[in-house]
Amino acid sequence: MVEGSDTYFLRPNHQLKFKPAIVKGYIREIVRERLSGVQYDPENVPELTLSLAESVKDKVKSSGFDRYKLVVQVLIGEQRGQGVKMSSRCLWDADTDNYAEDVFMNDSLFCVVAVFGSYYY
Amino acid sequence: MEEYQNGSEGSFSSEEAESIVKEGIDGVLGGDDYSQNHVNKWTATIVERCLTQLVKLGKPYKYIVTCSVMQKTGAGLHTANSCYWDTSLDGSCTVRWENRTMYCVVSVFAVAIA
Repeated sequence: MVEGSDTYFLRPNHQLKFKPAIVKGYIREIVRERLSGVQYDPENVPELTLSLAESVKDKVKSSGFDRYKLVVQVLIGEQRGQGVKMSSRCLWDADTDNYAEDVFMNDSLFCVVAVFGSYYY
Repeated sequence: MEEYQNGSEGSFSSEEAESIVKEGIDGVLGGDDYSQNHVNKWTATIVERCLTQLVKLGKPYKYIVTCSVMQKTGAGLHTANSCYWDTSLDGSCTVRWENRTMYCVVSVFAVAIA
């Protein structure tokens, strides 16, 4: 820090940019650990979904991306051969903002986790 | 309860977003039945329509819109989100919609630019 002079960053430092590949790895790791062998149970799934979202957020938050606001969305559904489609669109700064997602499936449930990172100028 | 009037024009209103989303879903899915051939186009159209309307509000926000459509077979579906942001400025809204053959869940996240 240089005293007496203001510094402004309009772009994140390259090293501290939101990196989708790394985030995807975190998601995969957490989801595998929490959902492997888990059967769909309507009683537990609401809490499970929420705690999964919290865990992923905490993990990404602590991984040190510079000035990023995070949105984590988790979708867990029961597998009964039905069709499902999830789409997303973002209006943001494609230069700085990014997202990562991963899908997990076992014979009883499917889980989609998407993390969106938006740079705060 | 007191409502804040000042500055409300520029900030995100989840009620406003909710009505935009509802309109968007109704306009696209309306009375249709689930169809694998159309679901890709439906979800894409819903998110795009919602985003277009949100942008028209002219507020200083970045938007993230997600839409999930699931065929009804008696299977359960849950969504949750967790955000790390400025709770005084940023906001979200989630709308659940269903008809005879499908469920649709749309979430909007608004992230203030500055």
